[in-house]
Amino acid sequence: MDILNGLMQGFAVALTPTNLMWCFAGCFLGTVVGIMPGLGPPATIAMLLPLTFQMNPTSAMIMLAGIYYGAKYGGSTTSILLNVPGESSSVVTCLDGYQMARKGRAGAALGIAAIASFIAGTVGVVALMLIAPPLAKFGLAFSSPEYFALMALGLAMVVLLAGESLVKALLAMLVGLWIASMGTDLFTAVSRFTFGNSEMLDGVDFVIVAIGIFALGEVLGNMEKREEPQMLPMPKGLRNLLPTREELKACRFAFVNGSVVGFLIGVLPGAGSTIASFISYGLEKAVSKHPEKFGTGVPEGVAAPEGANNSETGGALVPLLTLGIPGSGTTAILLAALILWGLKPGPLMIQDNPTLFWGLVASMYVGNVMLLVLNLPLVPLFAQILKLPVYALYPLIFGISIIGVYSVSGSLFDTWMLAAFGLLGYAMRKLDYPSAPLILGLVLGDNMERALRQSLMMSQGDLSILWSRPISATMLALTVAILFLPLLRRANAWRVTAIKENG
Amino acid sequence: MKIFREIAFAAALVLTVGPVAAAEFKPSRPIEFIVHTGPGGGADVLARFISQLVDREKLAPVRMQVNNKPGGNGVTAMSYVVEKKGDVHAIAIFTGNWMSNPLLQAEARNTVKDMTAIARLVIEPAVIVVKSDAPYKTLADFIDGAKKAPGQLKQSGGSITARDNVVRQLLMKSTGANWAYISFPGGGERIAALLGGHVTMMVLEPQEAGEHIRSGSMRVLAQVSEKRLPGFPNVPTLKEAGFNVPNVAQVRGVLAPPGLTPEVVAYYEDLFLRVSRSAAWKKYLDENQFEDGFQKSVELSKFFDEYTNQMRGILKEAGAKLVR
Repeated sequence: MDILNGLMQGFAVALTPTNLMWCFAGCFLGTVVGIMPGLGPPATIAMLLPLTFQMNPTSAMIMLAGIYYGAKYGGSTTSILLNVPGESSSVVTCLDGYQMARKGRAGAALGIAAIASFIAGTVGVVALMLIAPPLAKFGLAFSSPEYFALMALGLAMVVLLAGESLVKALLAMLVGLWIASMGTDLFTAVSRFTFGNSEMLDGVDFVIVAIGIFALGEVLGNMEKREEPQMLPMPKGLRNLLPTREELKACRFAFVNGSVVGFLIGVLPGAGSTIASFISYGLEKAVSKHPEKFGTGVPEGVAAPEGANNSETGGALVPLLTLGIPGSGTTAILLAALILWGLKPGPLMIQDNPTLFWGLVASMYVGNVMLLVLNLPLVPLFAQILKLPVYALYPLIFGISIIGVYSVSGSLFDTWMLAAFGLLGYAMRKLDYPSAPLILGLVLGDNMERALRQSLMMSQGDLSILWSRPISATMLALTVAILFLPLLRRANAWRVTAIKENG
Repeated sequence: MKIFREIAFAAALVLTVGPVAAAEFKPSRPIEFIVHTGPGGGADVLARFISQLVDREKLAPVRMQVNNKPGGNGVTAMSYVVEKKGDVHAIAIFTGNWMSNPLLQAEARNTVKDMTAIARLVIEPAVIVVKSDAPYKTLADFIDGAKKAPGQLKQSGGSITARDNVVRQLLMKSTGANWAYISFPGGGERIAALLGGHVTMMVLEPQEAGEHIRSGSMRVLAQVSEKRLPGFPNVPTLKEAGFNVPNVAQVRGVLAPPGLTPEVVAYYEDLFLRVSRSAAWKKYLDENQFEDGFQKSVELSKFFDEYTNQMRGILKEAGAKLVR
C-alpha cells in the first residue's frame, strides 16, 4: 500500500505541466546526445548543472535523469545505421544491428532497439520502485572477488563471440587486454605503456578504440569494393521499415534477459552498462537455438544489449538513491547535483524527500513512454540516411567519427589514435580477426585486473578467496561451463556425423 | 589593405589600453577557466559553481568559460596552463594532485612552481569511519586492533597519492601499527566495500559520512581537521585523540599561467577574495562541510613548496618511486 500511495503521490508530482515539460526536455536532449557519438550523458549533465541551481530539485532531477536514460535510447541509432557506436553501452549493438541494416532491415533494427529499450527501461523502473532497498543490500555483498568472477564470466564470452577461429578470437582479446593495461596503474601510480606521452597517462579511451575499429575499419574495408555503387538495399514503404511479427517474436526472451541482466548489473557499483550489454548478449547467444547466426543480423542480438543498457539505468539509481553511492560516471554527477541542491544523498534520502524519489520514479514511467513515442516515428526518418550513395555516406561516417572522438576530450592526440585504431580495424578485417573479442578484453581488462589485485590484497595473497565465497564460486563455475560449451557442441556435431555415417 | 587596417587597429588598441592596463587590470574578454577533469569531476563542479556565482553576483565584468582539459591525471591541463604563458584571460583550478602527481610521473614536464599562484580557496576536512557493527569505538581501539593482527585490517581508498593513504602512512609511522590499503577507483566502490564489510576502515568526506552516521550504518572514530567541524562536535580531531601527526590538507584553489604582471595577479586575488566572502560561497562551504582555506598568492606560493615537500617525504616512505 505504501508503494501505491507513494506512486500516486509521485504521479501527482510528475504530471504537473512544469515537470512534464522538464521530463520531455531531458528525454529529448538525451536522445540527441545519445545519437551523437562521443559526447555522452555525463558531460551533458555536468554542463547543464549550473542551470539547475535555480530550479526546484525534483524538476531538475527529473530532467537530468531524462538525459541519462534518454541517451540510452539514442545510442543505438548510429550503431545500427553507421556502425559508429553512439555510446559505450551501444558497442555490442553494432554486432547484429549493423548487419541487420546491411540486409535492408535497418528500420526493423531501430524499431526493435526502441521497443527493447522501452520494455527494459520500464522493468528497470518497476524494480527500482519495488525492491530497491533489499537489492542495495545484495549489491553490498559484492566485493572484489565477486567482481573478478563476474569479469571472468564476461571474458569467457569470448568463446561465444569467436567467429571461425577460436585462436584468432583469443589473440584479439589479448590485444584488448593489453590496451586496457595502458595508463597509470591505480595501485602504485606507475605509468604503463605510455611511451613517454603524457596524453596516455589516463589510458586509452574505450570510445576511441570502438569507433576506430568498428566504424573506420568497416568503411576502409568497404571502400575496396568499388563495384558496388549502392551498398545497402532499402525496402520501400513504411510497413517494411518496422519490425515484423516474427522478428518481435524472436526477441521475446531477449527482452526479459536484457531487462533482468541489465538491472542486476546496474545495481552493482563496480560494473556498468557496457559490461551489462556484453553479458546479456553473451547469455542470449548461449541459450539461442541458432547461435551460429549471431553476428549476421539477428534481432535478438539487438534486443538483448539495448534492453540491458536501458534497465541498467534503473539499477544504477538503486545504490545512488538508497545509499548515496554512485556506481558510474553519470550517477556520480547526479550525486554532486544532489549535494549542490542542498539535499542530503544517503541512506535516509528517500525517507526525508519522498516527493523527489516518487516524483522521479513516476517521471521515469512517463519518460519511457515519451521516448518510445519520440523514437518510433524517427525510425523511418533515420533509416533514410542509408539511401545516401556511398561517396556521401563514407565521408559522413568519417566526419561523425572524428567529431565524436574529438568532442570527448578536445585533444588532437586522440584523433590520431582514432586513425591508428581505424587502420588496426582494417587490418583485422583483412586478416579475418573478429573485433568483438578485442573490445570485450578492453572493457573488462582494467576492472578484472583491479578486482584480482584487490582480492589478493584482502586475502594477503591467498588465491582461495576467489572460490571460497558462494557468489563468486557460482560465477566461476558458470565461467568454466561456458568455456567448455564449444567443446560440447563440437562433440555433439561429431556424434551426429558419426550417427549419420553409421546410418 | 586589410592587413594594414588590422595592424593599425591593433596599434590603436595597444595605445589606448596599454597605459590603463599598467595602472589597473580588468579582463576584457571571457576568462577561460581550465579544469583538469572531464565534466562532472570534483574540480569541474567547483569551477562551474564559481563561474555561475561570479556571473550571478556580477563580481567580474566578463563571463567565465569552463574549459575541460582532461587526460594524464591532470598533466595535460598543467602543460596547457604553462603553454598559455602571459595570457591574462586564463585561470585554472588546482588540487593536491597537481603537486603530488609530478613527483611520481616522469611524463609530467611542469610543476605548480612553473605557474602563477592566485588563491587557495577550500580545505576539505575528512573523518575516519568504520562500519557501525565494528568493535572499534575510538581510533586508539582500531590502532590496537591493527597492532594485534598486523596487515589483517584493511582500509579502502583511492590511489596511493590520495589523502586517504597519506593519513594512513602518517598514522602507521607514528604508532608502529600496520594495516592494508586497498585502492578503488570510485568513491562509491570505496563506501560499498566498507558497508559490505569487505574492509574495516576508510577516510571519508564529512558530508557523505554525515548521512551514513545519521542512519546508523557507520561510526566516526576521529576527524582529520585542525579544529572540530560543526557537524561533528563530539568527535575528537587526530591531535585530540592523542595522535601527533601533521594535518595534511586536501586543498583546492586557483592558479594562472606563468608570466603575469603583479597587477593581473592582484586583480584575480581580489576577485577570489570577493568570491570567498559572498553568502553563496559560505553556503556552499557549509553544505559540503568544507573549511574556508583562503590564502593569497604569496602565501599560496609558500604552501606549494611545503605541501610538495611533505608529499615527497610521505610517498618515499610509502615505497613509491619518485622522479623529482
